[in-house]
Amino acid sequence: MTAPTVDRGGDVAGAGDALAAEELVEELGGPSPLWRWVGTPVVLAGVCAALYVYVQGQDLDRIEEAALNAPMIRQRVLEHLELTAVSTFFVIVIAVPLGMLVTRPATRRLAPAVLAVANVGQSIPSIGILVLLAVVVGIGFEQAITALVLYAVLPVLRNTMVGLDQVDRSLIEAGRGMGMTARQVLLRIELPLAVPVMLAGIRTALVINVGTAALATFIGAGGLGWIINQGNIHDRTPVLVTGSVLTAVVALALDWIAGIVEDLLRPKGT
Amino acid sequence: MTDASRSPEPMIRLESLTKRYPGQAVPAVDGITLDIPKGEIVVLVGPSGCGKTTVLKMINRLIEPTSGRVLIGGEDVTRADADELRRHIGYVIQQIGLFPHMTVAENVGMVPKLLRWEKQRIAARVDELLELVGLDPAEYRDRYPKELSGGQRQRVGVARALGADPPVMLMDEPFGAIDPITRDRLQNEFLRIQADVRKTIVFVTHDIDEAIKMGDRIAILREQSHIAQYDTPEAILTAPADGFVEDFIGAGAALKRLNLTRVREVPLDHWPAASVHEDRARLRRLLAESEQGSLLLLDEEDRPLRWVTARDLAREREPLHRVGLPATAVVEPHATLHDALDEMVTSTVGCAIVVDRRGRYQGVVDLGTVTSAIDEMRSDVRRRDRAVAEAEAAPGDAVGEVG
Repeated sequence: MTAPTVDRGGDVAGAGDALAAEELVEELGGPSPLWRWVGTPVVLAGVCAALYVYVQGQDLDRIEEAALNAPMIRQRVLEHLELTAVSTFFVIVIAVPLGMLVTRPATRRLAPAVLAVANVGQSIPSIGILVLLAVVVGIGFEQAITALVLYAVLPVLRNTMVGLDQVDRSLIEAGRGMGMTARQVLLRIELPLAVPVMLAGIRTALVINVGTAALATFIGAGGLGWIINQGNIHDRTPVLVTGSVLTAVVALALDWIAGIVEDLLRPKGT
Repeated sequence: MTDASRSPEPMIRLESLTKRYPGQAVPAVDGITLDIPKGEIVVLVGPSGCGKTTVLKMINRLIEPTSGRVLIGGEDVTRADADELRRHIGYVIQQIGLFPHMTVAENVGMVPKLLRWEKQRIAARVDELLELVGLDPAEYRDRYPKELSGGQRQRVGVARALGADPPVMLMDEPFGAIDPITRDRLQNEFLRIQADVRKTIVFVTHDIDEAIKMGDRIAILREQSHIAQYDTPEAILTAPADGFVEDFIGAGAALKRLNLTRVREVPLDHWPAASVHEDRARLRRLLAESEQGSLLLLDEEDRPLRWVTARDLAREREPLHRVGLPATAVVEPHATLHDALDEMVTSTVGCAIVVDRRGRYQGVVDLGTVTSAIDEMRSDVRRRDRAVAEAEAAPGDAVGEVG
């Protein structure tokens, strides 16, 4: 929060209401932006370096070498990122407009039904969806994406709805009262003010997708899950550790990027 | 009939305006008919649930009327494009509703922007409006609403409503959420602005005192927005139409009428006053020549500074701007006698100092001024009562329900 440098007069604190509370949460809510922006990559780089030193220190057999070589690791990381990016893209494209739709006065009554469907998507274990899809439509990248999207729609949908609903009704009334159309109110008032909550949902979806993408290997879609699985079936600890640590690093790195985007897209003045 | 229906061409005319919500036995607003004269503030006042806000929102069609018509400047707006209509009607609500992610300038320039004005014209208009509401454009233009105090936000809200210079403004309890002291100041400021801009204003409140202070006319509404009385504040306080109005006005109607007279309307008394830079001998002479026991000292710009007595003047070693008592209880000409009385009783000298808008000394108002104003009102009341009694004796009601 930027504290204005000018004297704001006496009654600001009293009038601050919800904003003051938000500021307080922000102050209590741990590290400053600088630490959040710089700290995470430093820690993650340290973890990667430690992992490298650990693997270099091992005497690798042929099975381990087949999994732990630079081209293979690069390929699996890229596969993992692709699964995450594509699924998150579709989650946003589906859930954000849907959330906008079910918060409009005319279509608001659809909200419970839509939420129920999204809830089902999330409450079925993702491995279950993956296997079901594999049985019904076969294995591959598209099936993996479908499963990931189904699983991650809910947080984005719910946060879009909450984000739009928490916009102060009086702002909407003021907007309509001065002659803005419903569409202008949505685009210029409601959406910009809902952005922080919506982004939080997208960030959650992203993290869910990174984690769930590790399961995609079971229907032949690759990703870092493949390395973990290799370590598991051949009982090779270095392979297992490398796969797990890399999955965690990718997850944290994406979450870090999402956090920066959140900071940058927060509407000014709030 | 009432004064309003006599005025030649009302700016706003409500014709049997009705709002009926589905599933409710009685309409929320039942056929209100009201003429609102050009350039006046008409206050709709009534107990909560009387539908006054619904009436207001039917004028700019935030609520669509079930039946009846709204005419603005003689034109039926009930069929017009609602969004376009609202761009030409200023709208101020209690919560103000400033957009927190936009600067003061963006908020104030919103309606001109919707009307596709050129950027430069919008910027010029924003500065003009900020100045009008007493905020320095250079300092406030680029602030965000959270960087303003409650009173400043309210002013920005008014500036925003005046954005495209609409002939009509609707205000829904605009000062409702502000502390009493700031509210009083903002009300006075708003009346000053209104004296310049002369908008036709429909103002909703539940506070009869605010209605008396702000209204050129007051419509007292009972349930379903039936008009109990529609008249000037003077007439309502003097001759309440019925028991409902009497109850609503409450006790102390005579004292409330002090709110109707402004300081500029009464003759000011002159108190001996002189510059703080005069030499003491002259000040002493001035004091001796006057009938008063003290002297008002003014600064270089004629602003009241201190009250001093002969004894204060005798303390040669103290500089003049430190002796005596500070000149408190200062009112401007647009303050009401009620404000002045309020200041007076808390002041040490027993009178209120009147200054102009720049703070320069004009004269004083004392208890005598207030007493004679009350006397005058009393005789007004008697005259009016007699007229009402005569009218009641005759068939037909003098101040009956409109519509």
